[in-house]
Amino acid sequence: MAEHVILFAGPMGAGKTTAIQTLSEIDVVLTEAANTERDVVDKATTTVALDYGEIMVSDEEKVRLYGVPGQRRFDFMWEILKERAVGMILLVNNDAADPIALALEFLEEFSELNNRGGVVMGISRSDVAGGPSVDDYSAAIRDVYPELVVPVFTVDTRNSSQMRLALMTLIMNIEARSAFTLNGSTAA
Amino acid sequence: MSVPAHKDQAIIDNAAMVLTEMRALCKSLVYAALLTDDGFEVVSLPNSRTDGSRMASMASSMQALSDAVARELKMGTSEYIIIATQSGYVLQLRVPTQSLVLSALFGDDETLGKALSISRLSAQKMSVLMNPDAA
Repeated sequence: MAEHVILFAGPMGAGKTTAIQTLSEIDVVLTEAANTERDVVDKATTTVALDYGEIMVSDEEKVRLYGVPGQRRFDFMWEILKERAVGMILLVNNDAADPIALALEFLEEFSELNNRGGVVMGISRSDVAGGPSVDDYSAAIRDVYPELVVPVFTVDTRNSSQMRLALMTLIMNIEARSAFTLNGSTAA
Repeated sequence: MSVPAHKDQAIIDNAAMVLTEMRALCKSLVYAALLTDDGFEVVSLPNSRTDGSRMASMASSMQALSDAVARELKMGTSEYIIIATQSGYVLQLRVPTQSLVLSALFGDDETLGKALSISRLSAQKMSVLMNPDAA
């Protein structure tokens, strides 16, 4: 059976835990703690180690879904989890103070995942406040990383079909890239 | 919105007192900290060379992971965590009834039993100080 390990990264409050709960076909392993930074993001709990879920995307293909904490003080968990991942869904809440800067910061932090597999970006909470458009994000990413192809979607992390579309786009990118690399090395 | 523990001066003062007493009870205590569940240091023993903020974050993740394992295995709640190394122990446990964790590093000249006993007493004392009516 083929397996992919996919990370869900992004700032606190972007909806990473919700996205994994939406997608997972098993009970999600959660590591939530009472959030003392209510002035930063007003939610009761926050992930302090990881979230873990699983989904079968075909009879022979399992995807392991790992969510990382959004706060930089937990970056040791980023290091641990990105070592085993082949791709990343980067979630950024559009109502954050400077969501494009956040997106670029996380892309840089997890750049090895793009080199190894692929990245798809989901903009959450785009319906609750005005903010940059999908095109704004794409243009900013293209400016800084002209060599990267990062599909950008608006997503409601509670919506199963939207999250599945983002996930399948990432899986297809990873597999296409892998096949291309394999063909390239065979032809060489 | 209540003041978080790591910014509440009364809690910080109580935590400092508990850790100072803990060190007096156990000379092999190398480092100790009280931290919030979400990884903010409330107070740590002074003169430590440990990076307190980083240790608080790691302790918070460890605590949450041990809780998750206990939950997954339907074994109740995680009472304490021990990391045993060649040069000592890291011992960690929750402060009863509070969203706080005590994390302590003991040298290898300490017995695990004593380290555990002192850590439990200190966590219990912190709990009582934070909620004297329940004592």
